[in-house]
Amino acid sequence: MPRTEVRRDLKSAATSHKGDRIFNRSITTAAFTALVVLAGIAIFLGFSAIEALRTQGLDFLFTTEWSVEQEDPKAGIWGMLYGSVLLSVIGLVIAIPASLLLSVFIVFLAPRRLAKVMTNVIDLMAAIPSVILGLWAFYLLNPPAEEWQFLLNKYLGWIPIFQNESGNFNGTPFIAGFVLAIMMIPIITSVSREVLGRTPPDLINAAEALGCSLWTMLRYVALPYGRGGIVGGIMLGLGRALGETIAIFFVLKLIFETNWYNIIESGGGSVATLIVATFGEVSGPYELNLLLAAGFFLFVGTLIVNVIANLIVQRTGRMQR
Amino acid sequence: MTQVLDRERIAEWSTQEPQRPWTKKPVHLQVWIALAALLPAVVVALMFTYTDLPGPVLMVVVYLPLQLVASGFAALATKGRQGVADSVIIVNAIGATLFSFIILFSVLGSLIVRGFEALWGEDGFRSSFLVQNNVYINPSTPLEYGGLGHAVLGTLIIVAIASLIAVPIGIATAIYITEVRGRAVPYVRFFVQAMSGVPSIVAGLFILTVLIVSGAIGQSAFAGGLAYAILMLPTVARTAEEVLRLIPEDLRTGALALGSTRARVVLRVVIPAAKTGIITAIILGVARVIGETAPLLLTSLKSDQTVLNPFSDPIAALPTYIFDNVALPYPGAVTRAWGAALVLMVIVLILFTIARILGRDRLNKSR
Amino acid sequence: MSTAEYEGDVEVLEGEFADKRDVGPIELESRDVSVWFGQRKVLEGVNIACPKKTVTALIGPSGCGKSTYIRTLNRLHELIPGAALAGSVLYEGKDIYDTDVDPVHIRLKIGMVFQKPNPFPSMTIRGNVLSGLKLSGMKRDGHDEIVEQTLTAAGLWNEVKDRLDSAAGELSGGQQQRLVIARALAVQPHVLLMDEPCSALDPASTLKIEETIRELSKEITIVIVTHNMQQAVRVSDYTAFFLAAENEPGYVIEQGPTTDIFSNPRDQRTLDYVNGRFG
Repeated sequence: MPRTEVRRDLKSAATSHKGDRIFNRSITTAAFTALVVLAGIAIFLGFSAIEALRTQGLDFLFTTEWSVEQEDPKAGIWGMLYGSVLLSVIGLVIAIPASLLLSVFIVFLAPRRLAKVMTNVIDLMAAIPSVILGLWAFYLLNPPAEEWQFLLNKYLGWIPIFQNESGNFNGTPFIAGFVLAIMMIPIITSVSREVLGRTPPDLINAAEALGCSLWTMLRYVALPYGRGGIVGGIMLGLGRALGETIAIFFVLKLIFETNWYNIIESGGGSVATLIVATFGEVSGPYELNLLLAAGFFLFVGTLIVNVIANLIVQRTGRMQR
Repeated sequence: MTQVLDRERIAEWSTQEPQRPWTKKPVHLQVWIALAALLPAVVVALMFTYTDLPGPVLMVVVYLPLQLVASGFAALATKGRQGVADSVIIVNAIGATLFSFIILFSVLGSLIVRGFEALWGEDGFRSSFLVQNNVYINPSTPLEYGGLGHAVLGTLIIVAIASLIAVPIGIATAIYITEVRGRAVPYVRFFVQAMSGVPSIVAGLFILTVLIVSGAIGQSAFAGGLAYAILMLPTVARTAEEVLRLIPEDLRTGALALGSTRARVVLRVVIPAAKTGIITAIILGVARVIGETAPLLLTSLKSDQTVLNPFSDPIAALPTYIFDNVALPYPGAVTRAWGAALVLMVIVLILFTIARILGRDRLNKSR
Repeated sequence: MSTAEYEGDVEVLEGEFADKRDVGPIELESRDVSVWFGQRKVLEGVNIACPKKTVTALIGPSGCGKSTYIRTLNRLHELIPGAALAGSVLYEGKDIYDTDVDPVHIRLKIGMVFQKPNPFPSMTIRGNVLSGLKLSGMKRDGHDEIVEQTLTAAGLWNEVKDRLDSAAGELSGGQQQRLVIARALAVQPHVLLMDEPCSALDPASTLKIEETIRELSKEITIVIVTHNMQQAVRVSDYTAFFLAAENEPGYVIEQGPTTDIFSNPRDQRTLDYVNGRFG
């Protein structure tokens, strides 16, 4: 008589012992804290967002106004949302080339010892608390930067983005974007340094044997290879920039108008900074609720950027391994 | 007929000196390089002397483009078209490197110069600044009196509360991912990563709305600590995960084969083996949050007094102390802010250095 | 004993590769080449001359410096930090290590194929073949002809002609290696260096590559490092046998026409090695 084959699924050792079951359960519970917190943020701030949209309608998102203490309170954060994006774009325009050049320098050009020093310098830059960077920017960067912007306007004022009608070069989006760039450079550099450093020596050898120059090697071998990781690093930097609060608070003059493109004109917007700036003199629960709603949209924006960034970094990480 | 090793020449070969001919540059190339390096500098030096344009502007607007053009010509003359792109990259890469050096040293330098005004006066080192609080300070109070002692204490309390909450949960999360390896591992990692992107102001808002607006607790060190914990958790969890991953699988299997339970393997074998790494994770978590200002502005407010009760009263912390003093309209306050910034940066640097040293040991060991 | 002459050069060498056959003009020659990594000397006094349009095989046990040597022939050696050398490498009679020689120019004239097939993963098959033109900034017209010509020369054309625009990573290891050969040929080198090109391949692919090498040697000069004695016999005209004692620099024990090295070696160690007694 033929023996029938019976498949026996083995219980993993983890669940077959009583003490382990308790251990596992408590660890698993703790591991879901991140989910609970994220969900909590989404729900609690989401309620405020619904409330804000209910009373203000879509105007809350697409107009720019903040006159809450009158009879018929009006609030719109478009200028702030747009401002956050504008500042980040200015930051990225400075930070992306600077970071790529820095990582190329560290990986391909610098002698090994200097490369090590540079890596530490970059990491140290990342460790500077934003309040200190803000303090520095307010007292040391702002005064000379006003002069640079004055000259920029004087000589390049015919370009729309360098227009300035008020003659006031204090608290401009440009300077805030510059500070954001300083915060993004270490993030983007450390990611792109790593992915460029992982370019297989095989491929670099092959390129060298085909008579490449530094530029063609980067253009056709190293950058295509590390593209995903670099884009992910840029997105991580962007996520950081969108959520930055204090450093911008120090250097940006917050105005409730939309500064569309006059980046060296005094005044601009930022959601995160709006919250901090308004919170101190908040007039009552309704205004507080509006701030929470603004926080919700900030949360959603940064969450999307970060999730995309992490997916990209992860995918390229897996591909390269 | 084949040719065999010429033994008589071995002695000759052994006297050969190693050379690196590729490091030598022919004379005409050296001339070009010298010209390309000197000309722009000379032009800019002349312009600096004879025009009223400020130095930094000259550097960016005149020197860098000029240096680019000069190097481009030098490259074209010596290496042809291919060399031009390379020289552009190299000049700019060096420029970017100098830029980051300048920024970092400008920040650190200004902290040292201005911070010492608060910490050091005619009366010598003001230890009072480090230990006293701000209670009796008014605009005319000289810098000899009052200080940030209460803020340092506040930061310590808040960070301690945050660590008490975030460290166990963060390590547990890492253990779930590397040791328990449940079905939800990819999701847990995803959530932890998503959480690491939460802006600090949002963490503050969350605590504010859940615990303070609802009336559960007042604005206090505990509320601040909770907000910090949200920011700290992902850093601890991700670093600890990396560390636990480095523990060799043999160690676990070996312990299991001795009849140990899973729980005991983790608690008695894996965690002790990863001890320094886990300490690094905690330090990095602390360094991540210790300078955060925005959440504290919402959750722990400020105080001029030394507050010890973490649950009831608003409390000062270093970042908020800096923030508040900058806003005060008299010069002494700004000096105090710089002093506090120096103290904060020194703390961050110490944490950074400890994490580096521990991290280096860990890497060496795993190799 | 016949003599070998350089093209346009008056120098006459006695005894190099002396053979009953006529030896053509020497294309690539190393003279008293010694190589260091940092303080460690890894090669000593290598004198090898490669006549035009021939295949020279470098054989010897692993760690004797063959791969290091072949990398000195097109100035890839200097990319390793701490690398140094002595002696000279003459290409068409001129030292490639002279200060006024552009290494890029040398690497274009003296191409190289590596141990592991290393096509650029981000490029298509076609893109890989033409990558040398892009990387070196070389201008050549008729890209389609170049692709067909070089892939044919590398013995790959028939297998890939219908999917030139698919990713290079989809090819098998042997195909990838032939693609890499085509890539090296597209910049029209005069010499092709091959560092154990078949060591990562199966026997069938190896055979194909060997056929390719034989075909190519009608047009260009080839230097090949190999661990496989039969391969050396099958593809090469000349053979140099490298050997190194433990922690000593490697050197050439014996060199000459392949048939002589394998059938009638003069050094006992060569005899032992070619008969598989060690290494």
